[in-house]
Amino acid sequence: MEPMPEEQLELYTLMVRSRAFEERAGALVAAGEVPGSWLSGIGQEGTMGTICQLRPDDYLTYTHRGAYSFIGRGSDPGRLLAELLGKRTGYCRGKGGRHIADLEHGILGKSGTIGGHAPLAIGVATAIQIRDGDQVVVSLFGEGTSNRGTTHAAMNAAAVWRLPVVWVCENNGYMGNVPAPMYTAVADIAAMAPGYGMPGEVMDGNDVLAVHRAAAVAIARARAGNGPSLLELKTYRMRPFGETSTDLRDPREAAAWLGQDPIERFRRRLLEAGVLTDAAAQAVDEAARAEMDAAATYALESPLPAAADAFEDLYA
Amino acid sequence: MRSLTVTEAMNEALREEMRRDPTVYVLGLGLYPSAGDSATGGLVEEFGEKRVRSAPMSETVIAGSAVGAALAGMRPVAELHLADFAFNALDEILSKAGKWRYVHGANHGMTLPIVFLQGIGGYVSAGAEHSQSPVALYWHFPGLKIVVPTTPHDAKGLLKTAVRDDNPVLFFTHKLLDDAGPVPDEDYLVPFGVAEIRRPGADVTVVATSYMVTLALQAAANLERRGVAVEVIDPRTLEPLDIDTIVDSVHKTGRLVVVDEDTQRCGVGAEIGAQVMERAFAALRAPVGRVANPNLPVPYSPPLEEAVLPSVARIEAAVLATLDSMR
Ligand SMILES: Cc1ncc(C[n+]2csc(CCOP(=O)(O)OP(=O)(O)O)c2C)c(N)n1
Ligand SMILES: [Mg+2]
Repeated sequence: MEPMPEEQLELYTLMVRSRAFEERAGALVAAGEVPGSWLSGIGQEGTMGTICQLRPDDYLTYTHRGAYSFIGRGSDPGRLLAELLGKRTGYCRGKGGRHIADLEHGILGKSGTIGGHAPLAIGVATAIQIRDGDQVVVSLFGEGTSNRGTTHAAMNAAAVWRLPVVWVCENNGYMGNVPAPMYTAVADIAAMAPGYGMPGEVMDGNDVLAVHRAAAVAIARARAGNGPSLLELKTYRMRPFGETSTDLRDPREAAAWLGQDPIERFRRRLLEAGVLTDAAAQAVDEAARAEMDAAATYALESPLPAAADAFEDLYA
Repeated sequence: MRSLTVTEAMNEALREEMRRDPTVYVLGLGLYPSAGDSATGGLVEEFGEKRVRSAPMSETVIAGSAVGAALAGMRPVAELHLADFAFNALDEILSKAGKWRYVHGANHGMTLPIVFLQGIGGYVSAGAEHSQSPVALYWHFPGLKIVVPTTPHDAKGLLKTAVRDDNPVLFFTHKLLDDAGPVPDEDYLVPFGVAEIRRPGADVTVVATSYMVTLALQAAANLERRGVAVEVIDPRTLEPLDIDTIVDSVHKTGRLVVVDEDTQRCGVGAEIGAQVMERAFAALRAPVGRVANPNLPVPYSPPLEEAVLPSVARIEAAVLATLDSMR
């Protein structure tokens, strides 16, 4: 089922805000304001088609990449950027950096080891199951991360225990600068799903409405207690691996994917359908940029932690 | 007073805590069907399959899902069977359970109330990968509480404290601690960070945990016949460590031997020895002695295993050595 026009506009706005955040974060890295780095999700905002459907009490585990997880859940961009800048006002008081938790919005942390979040995701789902709840856990991972045993062990367990998990593979075809056929034996990660007794579906990850459609089915299945599913979103990262990394991929490939930009495609579609006007689209862009500028100002003006703060928070 | 084994005492602790608090659940390999002679035996009959979860054969899943469930408000008890197997879940234990509150969570009041049960110990010809006691490995890392019970009484009281703690707790039980011992009928807790003096003595302090306490007490009894009074201290928890009780004892005896069933270097003896030197150097009348494994795997055949693991004779020799090197 297509989302209603207002929902489509909301989804579009979330994608634009996510991109505006990424651009702001990238600019802060370039300006030398970020002690670490930022791993941009520009080009992969189609994933928002999944995230936007979560209820406030649902959970999300995210990867190392992209702002859409946070923007889609309703996190405060100012506190996100403050964390990236290592400020005391950040989500983790400057102890996390780009490893961020926003418990209030069901984002329980970021595994520094990629694939480390998969077994945690099934634990969250276990908690839901024990409490007889009807929440779901969406767990994002890259196709490179599909190599890890944690991913496989967690998928098997989720299926055995019929846990309310939706596995979402963002297949951008690369692990750093290495192309997927060099590390993954099958072209489609979703081909692994039958091996774990769950449905799997491959889709154009840059067609946000296609993502939305498939995610609606998987989320409903999980919510009804019928177990996990695996969605594979074929996409492309339009930035280097990290904002401070060298991109060794063929530039012609990136140029070809420019025409597939998920936000541009959605914008054209909404304009054609008369859901959006050029003026309204411009207003969305400007509002998003202004919001992220304000967030950056907040982050830049926030205080750094004191050395003594390093000695707090180990134990509850 | 009743007499229970460590396993029975732990089973009772889990049963009581699961009755008290619906967020407590247990998971591990083969929890049911079970013959009932394990710490988790018989729990499924009372609490059902949602709260007593027989897990797939993946320590990553057992430990990692415990972390996830704790983040979502549960109090999991993750039965990892042997510490040797738990190495498969080190990322989950060391880097998630141990670090996440510090790294992400303090702003949000994040808690990680998890108990990781691990079996340790040799002396049973189980071979190198079923005989390890890697307690010091976990002690090296921040954010993990470490419990090493010796008696059934302590196993029950410490396990109940562990389940109620809002932080991750590693709970190590030795394969050979299966003698029955007195356990009170009434509800009780044993607090973390309080050492027990298992035997008082004025000449030499011996610090030991778990099955090493049993060996140390035998050595102390033998040495008494030779006129040497050994004080045996069982810290019961290493994190937090009751260093005060150890330091007080060393002020009295001037001599310290630490017994640890693990490879010696970077071990429990190194850490306790260093802390005592920092706190009570002037009181020491001899170098701190260490009885631990040489830097070797634990071999299978009994004479080989005996050559590697601590023994009563080696403890006696180490105690006597501290008396020789008088200053
Ligand atoms: C266990 C572990 N190994 C290696 C890394 C370093 N690392 C971070 S991201 C990454 C590539 C991940 O590729 P993929 O899952 O496809 O995600 P993408 O970066 O393409 O979004 C690697 C190897 C890590 N963080 N954790
Ligand atoms: Mg990738």
